[in-house]
Amino acid sequence: MSWLRNPWGRPRFLPIVTGVYILWSIVPVTVAVLFAFNDGRSRTTWQGFSTRWFLDDPGSVKNDPGLLSALQHTLLLAVICVVVAVPLGVALALGLQRWRGHGSGAANTLMLLPLVTPELVMGVALLLLFLQIFNGWGLGTTAQAIGQVTFAVSYVVVVVRGRLVTIGREYEEAAADLGAPPVSRLTRVLLPLLAPAIIASAGIVFALSIDDFVVTQYLSAGADTNTVSMLLYSTARGAPSPALNALASITLVITLVTIALAYLVYRRFAGAGSASEAATLGEVAIER
Amino acid sequence: MNGEVRLEELTKSYGGVSAVEGIDLDMPPGEFFTMVGPSGCGKTTTLRMIAGFERPTSGRILLDGVDVAQTPPHRRNVNTVFQSYALFPHLNVADNVAFGLKYRKTTKEERRRQVAEVLELVQLTGFEGRKPGQLSGGQQQRVALARALVLRPQVLLLDEPLGALDARLRKDLQVELKALQSEVGVTFVFVTHDQEEALTMSDRIAVMNDGHIEQAGPPQAVYDEPETLFVADFLGVSNLIAAQARGTEGDCCVLRVAERTLYAEQGATGARGDVKAMIRPERVRIEPPGGDGDNRLPGLIEHAVFLGGFRELRVRILGGSLIKAIVPNDGTPFGYEEGESLMLHFPQEALRVLAPSAVPDEPSPDEPA
Repeated sequence: MSWLRNPWGRPRFLPIVTGVYILWSIVPVTVAVLFAFNDGRSRTTWQGFSTRWFLDDPGSVKNDPGLLSALQHTLLLAVICVVVAVPLGVALALGLQRWRGHGSGAANTLMLLPLVTPELVMGVALLLLFLQIFNGWGLGTTAQAIGQVTFAVSYVVVVVRGRLVTIGREYEEAAADLGAPPVSRLTRVLLPLLAPAIIASAGIVFALSIDDFVVTQYLSAGADTNTVSMLLYSTARGAPSPALNALASITLVITLVTIALAYLVYRRFAGAGSASEAATLGEVAIER
Repeated sequence: MNGEVRLEELTKSYGGVSAVEGIDLDMPPGEFFTMVGPSGCGKTTTLRMIAGFERPTSGRILLDGVDVAQTPPHRRNVNTVFQSYALFPHLNVADNVAFGLKYRKTTKEERRRQVAEVLELVQLTGFEGRKPGQLSGGQQQRVALARALVLRPQVLLLDEPLGALDARLRKDLQVELKALQSEVGVTFVFVTHDQEEALTMSDRIAVMNDGHIEQAGPPQAVYDEPETLFVADFLGVSNLIAAQARGTEGDCCVLRVAERTLYAEQGATGARGDVKAMIRPERVRIEPPGGDGDNRLPGLIEHAVFLGGFRELRVRILGGSLIKAIVPNDGTPFGYEEGESLMLHFPQEALRVLAPSAVPDEPSPDEPA
């Protein structure tokens, strides 16, 4: 055991713990993805490699209308969520950052509330809201999108504000000093400087939307507003088929690619000195 | 385009605490004007009010006779070089410099010509395509200068632009900046906490403390004839000797220090009672012990440091004050050791009386770094 205790060598114990943990967290996902490529119906016994559950089988992702529609609806919601939540979040971040005076502290705290509220509470609350107050809108795509945007905005605000703090006010002052009126300061200086944070938060929002289950489930209205996560939940025990693994694998890949792209773009544009925000992004990626 | 700045009763307070307390200043056109003072003295706030980033609580800012106190920064023909330069990191050098030109009615060709011209002025031709992150501190500073100068401002404001540079580069850029100012003839309003920088570069300086102007004037006048204890202490090194003013004889004030009489020609010679006599270290003369004559006090050498071109002495004089004296290394042998006694001569034309009103009750401010 001397290699474990060698005080001059690199620490051994911590890497072992880390390694075991990483393995433990990856194994279930890997197994699930693996069985998406199983040649048989079994999700426990390996019967050879094939892509039938993606493309060929009548019950595959491509051919089963329920699965395909869920995938399409998931992506549609994700796109709406990004398009609405990101501009809204950027505007809120700018407003909150500039707001000095009564109520700004409370507003800041409230902004973070969706991040710590249990999603179930939020889902039920939104359901009641749409059933009793905004009952004209009813449930379905609109309600689902609004529900997702409600909590996604907070993430955008957190990421963009973090960047705003590091940017400071000096660039805007410099622009004003050089003759730029307020709108011009925003478009020519602030938004380009915020671009990495905006792209990063778009990635996060996209991933959040794809992975969301609770709020989306509560605000759904029938089969055509099913998302991938809902489908996985409802059929995982009932009608097991590797096609579900295939569907899950597709969403997983989309999420990972989105986060990876956002991370790369962020790294490229933000350059050095923004490690903390990159880390936030990494955390979100891992958390999902 | 003249570039005269006149501050009248300019005041800025934040929630009842005033940062600038009703200052009046005249900055003549085409001069290198420096506001110098310790941090928190209000010099940067004053500069930011001239730039338009801070709205004055009251008072007027006259730019060539027009009050701009309530004009937003983008409508003032005044440009700023920031302490951290604030170059736009997403734009290259040429785009940074051309940034402000987009708000002027000029053709693209004209713009390009002006950018090239100003980059030549600051010796950065060939750097057009670089991003600010790829430039050294000194180069960034020159881009910041070019970006402001290309707009031909009435006044150029500089907020400690040399603060972020290392000592050697600072010295070079001090000279460069001064030369540039003479060349373009724009009024420069410079803010620094570095008294040496203020003295070497400026046509005129204003020493600020605690939100007000202590003294303003040409550097040598302010250095040689400080009106207050603060100025005497802040600009350069000063020896202060507690003395009793007893009356006048001719042009001189008669001072009593430790049973000896000193005559002082400078300053508030009409003062009476407890005063401070001030003399610069380089004006103190040393003589062998036992000598006689007016304006002489015996002392004991506590430290003698050889600094190459000169020696710095710390001498404890009769009465207990510690006096700094600078003895040039001019070839005459220096025959004193630490612990030996000698006679200090304070020439009457170098000795200055600071009236009690010029001496605040609080302890004197720390020496600048």
